[in-house]
Amino acid sequence: MRKLIACSLLVAGAFMARSAEVSIPIEKYQLANGLRVILSKDNAVPVVAVYIIYDVGSRSEEKGRTGFAHLFEHMMFEGSANAPKGTHFATVESNGGSLNGSTHPDYTDYFEVLPSNKLATALWLESDRMRSLSINDENLKNQKEAVKQERRLNFDNQPYATAIVDVWPTLMYRNWQSSHSLIGSFEDLNASSVADVSKFFRTYYAPNNAALVIVGDIQSADARKLIEAYFGDIPSQPQPKRPDLAEPPNAEPRSQVYKDPLAQVPGVVIGYPGPKRRSPDYYALNMIDAILTAGDSSRIRQDLVKGKKSVVQYEAALGWPFAGAQDFRDPEPYAMFLLYNPMFKAADIVSQVQDEMAKLQNEAVDAKELERVKMQLRAGRIKDLQESINRARALAQYAIADGSPESINTELDAMLAVTPAQIQAAAKKYLAPERRVVLEIQPAPNPAPPAEPARKEGM
Amino acid sequence: MLRRSFAVLPLMALALAAQALDRTKPPETPPIPGYKLPPAFETKLPNGLTIVLLEDARFPLVTASLSFQAGSRFDPDGAPGLAEAAAALLTEGTRTRTSRQISEETDAMGGSLGGSAGADGLALGGNALSENLARLLALMADCAMNANFPADEVSLYQRNRVQNLLSQRSDPSFLAEEKFSELVYGSSPYAHIAPTQASIAKFTPSALASYRDARLVPNNATLLLIGKLPARDELLKTIAAQFGSWKQAPLPAEPKMDTPAPKRQIVLVDRPGSVQADIRVGRLAPTRVSPEFFPLIVGSNVLGGGTNSRMFKDIREKEGFAYDAHSGYNTHRVSSDFGAVTEVRNEVLEPALNAVFAELEGMAGAPVPAAELANVQNYMAGMYLLRLETQEGVAAQLNNMKTLGLPNDYLETYVQKVRSVTPDQIQAVARKYMAPADAAVVVVGDASKIGDALKKFGDVTVVKAN
Repeated sequence: MRKLIACSLLVAGAFMARSAEVSIPIEKYQLANGLRVILSKDNAVPVVAVYIIYDVGSRSEEKGRTGFAHLFEHMMFEGSANAPKGTHFATVESNGGSLNGSTHPDYTDYFEVLPSNKLATALWLESDRMRSLSINDENLKNQKEAVKQERRLNFDNQPYATAIVDVWPTLMYRNWQSSHSLIGSFEDLNASSVADVSKFFRTYYAPNNAALVIVGDIQSADARKLIEAYFGDIPSQPQPKRPDLAEPPNAEPRSQVYKDPLAQVPGVVIGYPGPKRRSPDYYALNMIDAILTAGDSSRIRQDLVKGKKSVVQYEAALGWPFAGAQDFRDPEPYAMFLLYNPMFKAADIVSQVQDEMAKLQNEAVDAKELERVKMQLRAGRIKDLQESINRARALAQYAIADGSPESINTELDAMLAVTPAQIQAAAKKYLAPERRVVLEIQPAPNPAPPAEPARKEGM
Repeated sequence: MLRRSFAVLPLMALALAAQALDRTKPPETPPIPGYKLPPAFETKLPNGLTIVLLEDARFPLVTASLSFQAGSRFDPDGAPGLAEAAAALLTEGTRTRTSRQISEETDAMGGSLGGSAGADGLALGGNALSENLARLLALMADCAMNANFPADEVSLYQRNRVQNLLSQRSDPSFLAEEKFSELVYGSSPYAHIAPTQASIAKFTPSALASYRDARLVPNNATLLLIGKLPARDELLKTIAAQFGSWKQAPLPAEPKMDTPAPKRQIVLVDRPGSVQADIRVGRLAPTRVSPEFFPLIVGSNVLGGGTNSRMFKDIREKEGFAYDAHSGYNTHRVSSDFGAVTEVRNEVLEPALNAVFAELEGMAGAPVPAAELANVQNYMAGMYLLRLETQEGVAAQLNNMKTLGLPNDYLETYVQKVRSVTPDQIQAVARKYMAPADAAVVVVGDASKIGDALKKFGDVTVVKAN
């Protein structure tokens, strides 16, 4: 529950918007206080998903406060004026629903999925914490511990995780806003104060910095009345600034070796600085990702797993590991994580992957392969949209990143329009060895002492 | 799913217009809407293949699975993981298609196709855009009937499975699950959740082919299709054309399933460098066809199902020992296990383990209060609905029913059976299956850090993680 979106390891994937066959209905409007509202009706199953996205994530953190956005997300479950501590979990679950929240580099989300008769209950809970979150020392102390415990469970005690969350960003990015640890250090977590929490709440958790999406079994006139009643009088705040995420120009190759005492199979992360969101190159690189990794006929599987018998497992995405094409906000890399057979060296794997990039640069993708990849992208999108929560998330992400939830019905077309020539050009421009960043993760020969952050805490 | 009649009562907004909103308490809402899955159509081919069809026209997709009574329960002695290997290699070559051709054909129909095996069942599952259903069925039939386990594919599988096993074994929760299953299930095949390096070496093409011939036969299989389907007559003709020539065969005898009597034992799996202790406390439990199933599954949700459960509220929210604390009732066809699970900081192992015991004893010691029970029953009723949103979710439910040998009305009556469980029934099963006197205790962690604390609970057997 309530997690920093972690690297869900080793699921190859690329997905993008709509297909000719599926069209998601969209009703959008804005309350006077700036809250963006998107309704999407689907009465097939009596279930409703209520999803709120706040336009703030870990990349808005300040120095000395790494991990704060995620710590704050935990605070959102600690109670509010009319729904004291414990009410949120208890109310949703005792009404047959599920809930969660998660912190990402560029956004934070909260949702409830409930039987549709409980729409008002979810709106009551979400509006109460947006209006009147309980911020106090006791809750903060308790949640600092919960976050540390989460860090131990999902990062410090897991192979590859520390390398990916703490080391990889320092290698891939040179702007501190992007390169710092998103889960944060124990030191910074300890230093956070109630005043920090209040300021963050006031600045970023205002209705004008959020979008509310409701997908499922609703009648829109009734839903509109409820939304106005619960959210309409929450005051707006000055619009916060997005962090400056610009990277210095002139990307240069970088590499590092990380010894991981918990890993038993060697791994390597390979990344390249990527293009602007929704630029022609963005669509082309997403198509490249699908050619390389989507499905069992993909090139990485056929050439490396099967042909060279070197790679054992892999995953990749625009924005890997914390984002995907859908929530990609500039600047993001295209990156790939591979586990490989120890009969090979990391340098072999890097050169095999670079050979694949060279192939993309030098040879036009043939029509049959391109057709196959497009079919997969179409089907993948439809499969993804079956769940109301996925539809809600996509609508919300398009709303805050592009101001157009309608993109859910058009992005796939933009993607499918990519030509072989565009693919070749994008591969040349972005996937060159001179721009490549490499992190080797080597199983350490001997058990090492506990991870650094645990020692800092005096364990 | 599926556009069916259900009583939607969208009246919640009416009261709001008339009066000011009272934010101090949860809103009044109408009752939970009723919902019924449309009936599945079921028939059999002359060769014994069971066919189940369920129409869901919301999305232009079809989800298909061909499932067999052939999971790890049937792995030969000394060869755990054989069913899993056979499943994975079904799509790696047939008499007329190479692995690459199978992948390309699958991807070209916007689909996916792959085998997997659990404790009781092996399934070849896939999906595709509806327009490609006939091609998907042809490919599935070829893989199921004609998989020929090419030597180079088998040896690559063996090699990579060893690496995957190493990777799994670096995860403490895997180590905990592995040891717990071993203690609970003893010499029965359910004791093994993964292959070993030694067993992987035995997965030769001929061993796989023998397994296929013995268990992957139509009279041991169910073909399930869910989605936007063509007209039924036409579809049944297509299915008969693809699967009709498949020869049935007598099934081998059921494997022996001796499980040891539960007893208290404490095992510490030493994982040097662990910054947490992964704890499991549990024992054997009844199967889903037992009258004790519903009381125990509801009781398990009271104890540790979700964030409103006793374990989550006490061990995580109140004590702050762990990020997660839950219980699990893991049901198989022949026997099942029940356990409490949490991962705690090294230095709080002792109070955390005491807290786990106290919660288990609490379930046995007193009936669950009526309001708490009603909340949990609502939770389970809602989760049931949520699981039916996707074709895969419905397919998983229906396959589970077949694999576990559940009656056809299982899904239809599930919510009503959950709601009819009483506090006394829960206490009765809690005394038998939750009270920890006979429970196995498994802890995975750094023995040099937590060994002494654990010894306070009794004799501890320490084993190496590898």
